[in-house]
Amino acid sequence: MLLKLKNVFKWVQSGGQPIFLLKDINIEVEQGEFISVMGPSGSGKSTLLNVIGMLDQFDEGEYHFLNESVHTLKEKHRAQLYKQYIGFVFQSYHLLDDLTVQENLEMPLLYKKFKSIERKAMVADMLDRFNIVGKKDLFPVQLSGGQQQLVGVARALISNPKLILADEPTGNLNSKQSEEIMELFKQLNNEGVTIIQVTHSEKNASYGSRIINLLDGRRV
Amino acid sequence: MFKNYLKIAWRNLTKNKAYSIINIGGLALGMAVSLTIGLWIQDELSHNDYFISKDRIAQVYQSQTLNGQTDTYPAIPIPLEKAIREGYGDNFKRLIMASWPNDLYLKYGETNLSRPGNYMQREAPELLELQILNGEKDGLREINSIMLSESTARALFGKEDPIGKIVKVSNQYDLMVTSVYKDIPFNNTFHDTEYIIPWNQYLASNEWAMRAATEEQWDNNSFQMFVQLAENTTMKGVTAKIKNVKKNLHEDTAEFNPQLFLFPMADWHLKGQFENGKQVGGRIKYVWLFGIIGAFVLLLACINFMNLSTARSEKRSKEVGIRKTLGSLKGQLIYQFLSESFLVVVFAFIVALGIVLLSLNGFNELARKEIQFPWDSINFWIMSILFIIFTSLLAGSYPALYLSSFKPVQVLKGTFNVSRYAGLPRKILVVTQFTVSVAFIIGTVIVMQQINFAKNRPVGYNKEGLIQIPTFSQDFEGKYDLMRSEFLASNAIVEMSSSSSPTTQIWSNRSGFSWEGKPEGFQEDFTWTVVSPEYAKSLNLKIVEGRDFSREFASDSLGVLINESAKKYLGMQDPVGKFLKDDFDEDPNSGLKIIGVVEDMIAQSPYEPVKQGLYAYDRFNYSSYYNLRLNPEKSASENISIIERVFKEHFPDIPFEYEFVDEQYGEKFASEERIGTLSGIFTALAILISCLGLFGLTSFVAEQRTKEIGVRKVLGASVFNVWNMLSKDFLKLVVISSFIAIPIAYYVMNGWLQEYPYRVILKWWIFALAMVGAMGVTILTVSFQAIKAAKANPVKSLRSE
Repeated sequence: MLLKLKNVFKWVQSGGQPIFLLKDINIEVEQGEFISVMGPSGSGKSTLLNVIGMLDQFDEGEYHFLNESVHTLKEKHRAQLYKQYIGFVFQSYHLLDDLTVQENLEMPLLYKKFKSIERKAMVADMLDRFNIVGKKDLFPVQLSGGQQQLVGVARALISNPKLILADEPTGNLNSKQSEEIMELFKQLNNEGVTIIQVTHSEKNASYGSRIINLLDGRRV
Repeated sequence: MFKNYLKIAWRNLTKNKAYSIINIGGLALGMAVSLTIGLWIQDELSHNDYFISKDRIAQVYQSQTLNGQTDTYPAIPIPLEKAIREGYGDNFKRLIMASWPNDLYLKYGETNLSRPGNYMQREAPELLELQILNGEKDGLREINSIMLSESTARALFGKEDPIGKIVKVSNQYDLMVTSVYKDIPFNNTFHDTEYIIPWNQYLASNEWAMRAATEEQWDNNSFQMFVQLAENTTMKGVTAKIKNVKKNLHEDTAEFNPQLFLFPMADWHLKGQFENGKQVGGRIKYVWLFGIIGAFVLLLACINFMNLSTARSEKRSKEVGIRKTLGSLKGQLIYQFLSESFLVVVFAFIVALGIVLLSLNGFNELARKEIQFPWDSINFWIMSILFIIFTSLLAGSYPALYLSSFKPVQVLKGTFNVSRYAGLPRKILVVTQFTVSVAFIIGTVIVMQQINFAKNRPVGYNKEGLIQIPTFSQDFEGKYDLMRSEFLASNAIVEMSSSSSPTTQIWSNRSGFSWEGKPEGFQEDFTWTVVSPEYAKSLNLKIVEGRDFSREFASDSLGVLINESAKKYLGMQDPVGKFLKDDFDEDPNSGLKIIGVVEDMIAQSPYEPVKQGLYAYDRFNYSSYYNLRLNPEKSASENISIIERVFKEHFPDIPFEYEFVDEQYGEKFASEERIGTLSGIFTALAILISCLGLFGLTSFVAEQRTKEIGVRKVLGASVFNVWNMLSKDFLKLVVISSFIAIPIAYYVMNGWLQEYPYRVILKWWIFALAMVGAMGVTILTVSFQAIKAAKANPVKSLRSE
């Protein structure tokens, strides 16, 4: 088992009343799954993803990730954990505008203290695998949306994460680009990477092996 | 990793050029000011560092108390030497008597120079640690010898070997050059000792000095004594031993309680001020003042950096979010932002070095310094590295902590609103900046006002069109009447007089008088100037009571003019015709008859009341200066060339030297004017730096509020409304700053003014002016961006969302 959420609650106070963002969420994810989280706007999809990604805290419940009890860890340890095992893909790509494609890919490796020579090899490998060697010295603004997201996925993958979290990865892309990214996810999943994506699209969800539906912070 | 950080930082800098220029430029200016001030302070603190035994050298000082007022000065009487050598000699490794540095004429062949030098005893070369370049080390052994500094020797002898040559001094006596020493550096008390003549020659050629020695005049405090302590002694210990030597040996002066003490060389330059017998600092206060100014200017520049960095945080927040999701720890981000500041500071430092190098000459001129850029000083470079690190931390810490604390979930979602977070600290920083600027403005204005106030004070005589010619040589003896008629006949002057002190100084003070109504035990003290009968006429000094000296009354040779302060001091309603009896004169009927009262003339500090003074008739044709009132119908240069010709006819062997009295008078303001000019420059720079920061800040605020401005304009706001909205925020801050700065500036400047008995009264409008000025500058700075933002087409800004 990769991760397990047990009775997770998250709320914010508004006018003295708690508003629940997540309500009694229980999820178990096995390695190799491809899960789609669906639901209308404001149903808590992104919040759930952020909680799984350890970027956001929750108020009650338990979260176990690879035998670690995340809810008991200090921020520093949490950061160590997610930086080692989790890769993020964002709707608006979130590449660093000041860095070239190559340098964007290299950045997660810097935080993991890889040696220069190893980094070079891994980046070259990734550029090759995603067929973007020719774009390595371009800056994000010089790429199309689809290409940027390709780099985003490559960046998420470069340090061999066990889990990829994708928050509407195709939300800013046209249908053809979307298809390419989803095919890529499918292929990665076949290679053994666990993927959790948030999506509005039934079509995208159909690439996955399982769907989690949310409404008002609750699983339905 | 560090490389990666620098890469990002570099791209950030090159991408936002305007921002980078403001940021680096502002910091560079601030750092240049701090560096310059640092060099200045280093120069001040290293005064006299040339001496290896700086800590063991001292001058013997003396405090005496008259009418409850204690004065402290370096002057001591001659018999003290013998008393100290005999009674306490083993406390000193070396001890020398010295005269005061004075200009003398040196003549060799056709070359005739006037240079400052000194008479000193034999051990002077060792005590002054002279580096002998040529000739013997013991150069003052024989009475007819002279030691020359390298530059004096060169000026006098050119390429000839000076050793053994004969120099004629003051056209009076011949001395043989025994050695040449390396010039004493500028940054040194003795730098104007350009030659040294044996002390015995001083006594031999100055009758009054010889008399002071042979008659053991304990009350003639006209000499200096320098000492170097023996091993195993301390300044304090020796002072305790010699404290009462004069008091115990000379009963007559005991009533003034003369206290001797060793004044250590380490204190000479910076802590040489005494008040009522206590050491109260001195120049050190300017070291502090400029140190504080330097620190504040640097702070202003660092605040700019902080404000601009945090204002840009919206742009950087996304990067922070991404980096955090990719596994960056907070510490790593802090490290990243600090390295960015470091890079910026290094650039700024390089630019600052350039600014310092370019402005050092000008600064030296303004500050009267000879500061060299310390390229070869390892300490300087170590200090520079520390300075860079310190500045990076000062400027970079807050932005680094602020930026690295962003939560990735918030910044990546795009719901993040920066201004809400950064508002208050940034306001506090802007208020700090303007508080400093407004305080600087007020300070500078008050310094300038005080200088002008003292400058506009009536001097009591007409200093324009008046020149003075020094007459230190014996050649001038008995020539006064002749020269006066020659000069008058040449038509270059309309009147002339001689005097024993220059017009702008007092060289002599006297006591020992009694007069009708003098209180019992009153210890009197007057300035004492011996003048020719035409003195008041030549200076246009007004006679308020009685009459001027006249050659027609023979009895005037025992007459005296007193100034108005002396009239009050003597307590006489009607002083004309009264006598001042000379206590030292044997004849009981003798005395100086007061024949007139002249207006107070400022001869000493223009910031202090004029001291009670006596002007006595020059019976013995003893003068130090000729005072010449130039013919107003001709140009000054024309007059002077005629005077020079006449002078040369009579004194072919004496270099013709003259000084304009108004220029000499202006020298009295030099020190304050220097401070005024320097603080004016630093204030201007401080304001410029603050405005640079404000300019950058407004541009970011305008950018942040683009959408808001667009909406407002669509809803009908005019350009003026928008301008008003953007400017008002900053103006409010300036007003707050002014209210903080004004009391602080008032307190500090009022304290500064207390040092000057004659001082300007602080008026409220100075403070109002500073505030209005700061507001004006703010409006100008802010308006540029505000109007640009207000004029932008709202359709554009709204569409871009």
